[in-house]
Amino acid sequence: MSERLLLVDDEEDIRRFLGLFLSDLGYEVHAAENGEKALEVFDTVQPSIVLTDIKMPVMDGLELLKRIKARSPDTEVVMISGHGDMDLAISCLQYEAADFVTKPINHDILDAALKRIDEKLAMRRELRRYTENLEKLVHEKSSRVVELERQLAAGQMVETMCQAISGLSADFGDGAGYFNEMPCFVAVHNRSLEVVATNQLYKERLGDMVGHHSWEVYVGQALRGFDGPVWKTFETGKGQRSRETMVCKNGNELPVMVHTSPIAATDGKVELVLEIAVDVSEIKRLQEELRVTQQKYMDLFEATPCYIAVRDRDYRVVANNTLYKTDFGEGVGQLCHQIFRHRDEPCPDCPVDATFADGEPHSLEAVVTCLDGQAKNVLTYSAPIRNATGEVVEVMALSTDITQIRELQDHLTSLGLMLGSISHGVKGMLTALEGGVYRLESGIKRGDQGRIGDAADTIKALVGRVRNLMLNVLYYAKSRDMVGEPVEVSYLAKNVAQIVEPKAAREHIAFTADIPENLGEAALDTANLSAALVNILENAIDACVADTSKPSHAITFSVMATDAAVVFDITDNGMGMSQETREKAFTLFFSSKGLKGTGLGLFIAHDVVKKHRGTIELTSEPGVGTKFHIRLPWAG
Amino acid sequence: MPKTILIVDDDPNIRDYLETLLSDNGYDTLTAENGEKALEVLAANTPDLITLDIEMPERTGPWFNRALSRSKTQANIPIIVITGHVGLKYVIPTAVGSLSKPFEPAELLALVRETIGS
Repeated sequence: MSERLLLVDDEEDIRRFLGLFLSDLGYEVHAAENGEKALEVFDTVQPSIVLTDIKMPVMDGLELLKRIKARSPDTEVVMISGHGDMDLAISCLQYEAADFVTKPINHDILDAALKRIDEKLAMRRELRRYTENLEKLVHEKSSRVVELERQLAAGQMVETMCQAISGLSADFGDGAGYFNEMPCFVAVHNRSLEVVATNQLYKERLGDMVGHHSWEVYVGQALRGFDGPVWKTFETGKGQRSRETMVCKNGNELPVMVHTSPIAATDGKVELVLEIAVDVSEIKRLQEELRVTQQKYMDLFEATPCYIAVRDRDYRVVANNTLYKTDFGEGVGQLCHQIFRHRDEPCPDCPVDATFADGEPHSLEAVVTCLDGQAKNVLTYSAPIRNATGEVVEVMALSTDITQIRELQDHLTSLGLMLGSISHGVKGMLTALEGGVYRLESGIKRGDQGRIGDAADTIKALVGRVRNLMLNVLYYAKSRDMVGEPVEVSYLAKNVAQIVEPKAAREHIAFTADIPENLGEAALDTANLSAALVNILENAIDACVADTSKPSHAITFSVMATDAAVVFDITDNGMGMSQETREKAFTLFFSSKGLKGTGLGLFIAHDVVKKHRGTIELTSEPGVGTKFHIRLPWAG
Repeated sequence: MPKTILIVDDDPNIRDYLETLLSDNGYDTLTAENGEKALEVLAANTPDLITLDIEMPERTGPWFNRALSRSKTQANIPIIVITGHVGLKYVIPTAVGSLSKPFEPAELLALVRETIGS
């Protein structure tokens, strides 16, 4: 390949002859007659050597030299100088001319000069090549260094992070027991899917995998090849999360939860992937424990035979158990006072409000109505539910059905009341009875027949009264269910009449029993119904005895049967009842008989009739008499 | 001259009892069925002792006692309370004794003897 040479001289002869000579030497020669033309050629041809006369019109050699050097400092310029140009020629050297030759040009000298220049050019080229190679080499090597540095930094970062996590878990102390024990394997992978760094735990449990393929630690992935979370992260550039199985260095399989995170270079390309694997076998165990505990809590919540509701400060129910839902409806989201107490406003004495205020348990007894209309007495206890900072955020209300207890209590209370109220009468009765016995004994001692007879009557009457009282008390005290057995009504009524007749006779009261035969069979509680009828009849006797306005008295006891019912009528012409007495006749403990009455008799009679699904009516006029009308349906 | 005892009680059986008991033991007896009737009896008689029931219709024992205490001549007649009520001993502060029904006849007789002799 020939070197390109530009010859610049204003003399055409020189251009021709020198041109030929130079071509022979092997150069590709281009010519120009002055500096300006030379520059034009220079720009297009780009010669590596310029041979130029110094003295030329338009632009001289020196100017040309400067211009060329400005354009291309590597172009070698040789000056051709005349004798008188020596100083000029030397100053050209100052402007980086390569050499100068004097006119007339000695071909050998020119040849030698050019050869020197050739060598110089050749050396320069060589140098350039070396330099470029070196730069490339340096660039390559330093990229590699940078990459290694980055990996190292990533590895160090991972180590630091693991240490930080360990440090954190140490800070948690006992409070985070399972966190301390939670094994966390950390590794960094490069784009070639090789492990470049691992943490201590990884090394201990999974083995020294640095330099190994990313998938080797996973079960089954060696077969699948490129499918794991690390590869996916490189592919998609996004972090992955998946359940995998890893193999320990002892061969055991370990269920893990793997999270990956891409580490990108400044150009956004994912260079490394951070892989964190957490042993989930411990977590699974804890989750199971948690589930069992939650199940136990739920069972307790549902199985407790109380109404349980939890509400917040805004009166909204946040949880309720099944029993609550059954009797009051689904409460969650509803206002507590609306669904439980059927009130539009919060209850004024709400124990839950009190618990919100002071964090202590409170209680309240109330009557609530279920969806089926049944009213119940409930006792509600409130208990605070606190958050992590100890504030009461919700309150649980536990309500127990105490209806039966209250009913029992009422029963016992009235029993107690009754016993208290009759005790005075009982004492009187007992004293009178003792008196009768004393008089009997005394009469016997004295042989006083009158006294004996009198005493005996007294005793009989009082024993009868005590018996009635005891039976009434027993009836009232025990379960008051009717035991109905089939009985011929006429038979029952006749028995009743028989019991009452002697007493009426003793008091000289005309007693008429109008009882037809074969009235029919009915399912009746014989003992209690008989006692009730006897009670009413004896009341009639007492009313007659107490009535002093008439010379004689009569009581009638009649029974009849209709298609629908059996009817008993008891009438007397005794003292009658005032309106007040009539109104209170069947109430508990009301007695118009002063100490003689117990207040139980008519109450129980009324109760017995009611339990037979019958009705009892009372009509009376003071001074005239009284009538009791009892109706018992056959089907009752 | 036998001592006279006025028996005040609304229960005739108890009046009979006390009458028999006291007369068997040598006392004469008068009876009244309530406080008002008792005052009527006292208008014509001055017994040596009064047995008094507390709870009676029309006029109670305490009423009677208050009425009696206003009397110039009879206010000092000793009273023994015989009642079915418990804890009413102090309703009649001037009573010489109080028995609750049912009472022990021996106890009553002893108290009567103590108060007025036999």
